[in-house]
Amino acid sequence: MTRLTDISCVFRIQLAGMRREAGPFLLAALVFPSAMYLFANAVGGASVEPEENRLRFLAGSVIFSLSLTSISWLGYLLLENRFTGRLKLFATLPLAPSSYVFGVLIFALAQAALGTTALLLVGRAFGVHMRPNIALLAVVVVLTILCLCGLGVIIAARARSFSEGSLLTDTLGAGLIFLAPVYYAPEMLPRALRVVAQMLPTAFAARAVQTTLAGGHEIGGELLALGLMATATLALGFRLMKWRED
Amino acid sequence: MPFAVRVRGLVKRYKDGTLANRGIDLDVRRGEVVTILGPNGAGKTTFLRQLTTELMPTAGSVNVFGVDAVKEPLRAKRAMGITPQEAGLFEALTVREHFEFFARFKSLSKREARAAAHEVIAELGLVDETNKPVGNLSGGQRRRILIGLALLGRPPLLVLDEPTTGLDPASRHAVWKVIRRAVAEGATIILSTHYMEEAERLSSRIGIIAAGRLIACGSLDELLARLERSYRLSYRDPQDPLGDLCVSYFASFAEAQQRIARERLNEYSIARASLEDVYFTLTGEPFDKDGTEVAA
Repeated sequence: MTRLTDISCVFRIQLAGMRREAGPFLLAALVFPSAMYLFANAVGGASVEPEENRLRFLAGSVIFSLSLTSISWLGYLLLENRFTGRLKLFATLPLAPSSYVFGVLIFALAQAALGTTALLLVGRAFGVHMRPNIALLAVVVVLTILCLCGLGVIIAARARSFSEGSLLTDTLGAGLIFLAPVYYAPEMLPRALRVVAQMLPTAFAARAVQTTLAGGHEIGGELLALGLMATATLALGFRLMKWRED
Repeated sequence: MPFAVRVRGLVKRYKDGTLANRGIDLDVRRGEVVTILGPNGAGKTTFLRQLTTELMPTAGSVNVFGVDAVKEPLRAKRAMGITPQEAGLFEALTVREHFEFFARFKSLSKREARAAAHEVIAELGLVDETNKPVGNLSGGQRRRILIGLALLGRPPLLVLDEPTTGLDPASRHAVWKVIRRAVAEGATIILSTHYMEEAERLSSRIGIIAAGRLIACGSLDELLARLERSYRLSYRDPQDPLGDLCVSYFASFAEAQQRIARERLNEYSIARASLEDVYFTLTGEPFDKDGTEVAA
């Protein structure tokens, strides 16, 4: 019970702290991915399969939004908490580090739900034909967020300075989108990169989101991969996130 | 159990090889106020951070109300209110929100948290700031919030690392009042400070840390008794009338007078030695008038 209260308080503190930054957050989570959707559509939308492309671009934009939310934005928040001494304040309390991370993860999930819903509405407004399986899509979004947040937690726990961490979260947040076949087909990548790029969490997530948006269910492999990656990154993140310095 | 805190053989060696604490032993009885003094870099903050479980000791033990703080940090922290030397607040949260949220972390119900927040805000003179975002407050007001967060839930042990640094005299006195009230209610307090006056006014016992060792610990009278020469003569050298004040120590008032006569001093004062003199004698480092350490 205490633990649930702790997690809820961490979540509410982050939520209350976002009051001033709600505008930039919405800008980052919605406008950038929407713009990317339009851009990708404009550049590649005239191919043989325009409808499939539009679904791919929308799925890519959802993943872009999730990546911004989890790695870039959440990573930044965790770094800020660490390097401005807020983490030290939490460390003075009888609060388990895992409760802190869970509170922050729930915050990221809430943001992801908001961002994804908004993007699906944008997609509808742009006339993308989709038959999303909402429950399955929710599972994909949760696993993707957990996996990417794990990376954010690892960076925030290990960075030696705010600027180093910030650079890493930005690089990883954008890199995982543009290096993975999210906005384009894997065949467009150089052969040497193709295998590696398809193993990135964003590649699995994009495939899963695109399939669910098209009304498909065959994403067992993607879910398994995302689940394993989420377990690995979060396990490492929890291990590294300690109140006590050695 | 009469002891609130028992520290044995506390050692801290940082990864770069710096030996910050070299084996500190300290017993703090319930209801005591123990002040830790020491030059910058002497190991005060390292000691307090080990006490509050923020820093893993290299060796030694810390026991807080019978709980092994090294093995069970969360359990030990349930008995502690901690004000770190530096910590960040949430700029967008109001003063009230800070206190209410942090009270919930200390297992207070929503109603208790509201009441505790209200009480601490009043106690620290922050009523006018209650609904202001912390980002709009001054450094002194933020410092008071950090102290208030430690007071929430009335923990039996308060560990305050330089609680009044950066506060104006009125705020400092307000914090002293809060500390005295906590002691009157049965709390045990361990604090570090750079202010001699603070140590003299608040402490049951004063510990002096130098080069990672607790070189003295006792009541003010006990520490003063350690001085063999307990009369301080402050004077201006007649040969250098624009120079700094010189200080010499004597075993008796008469000895100091003899020196005045012999040197034909005409600008001088004689006083009984103070905590500052004990500190100077033990550490070799003086404090200036504000209580801030002067470079040796």
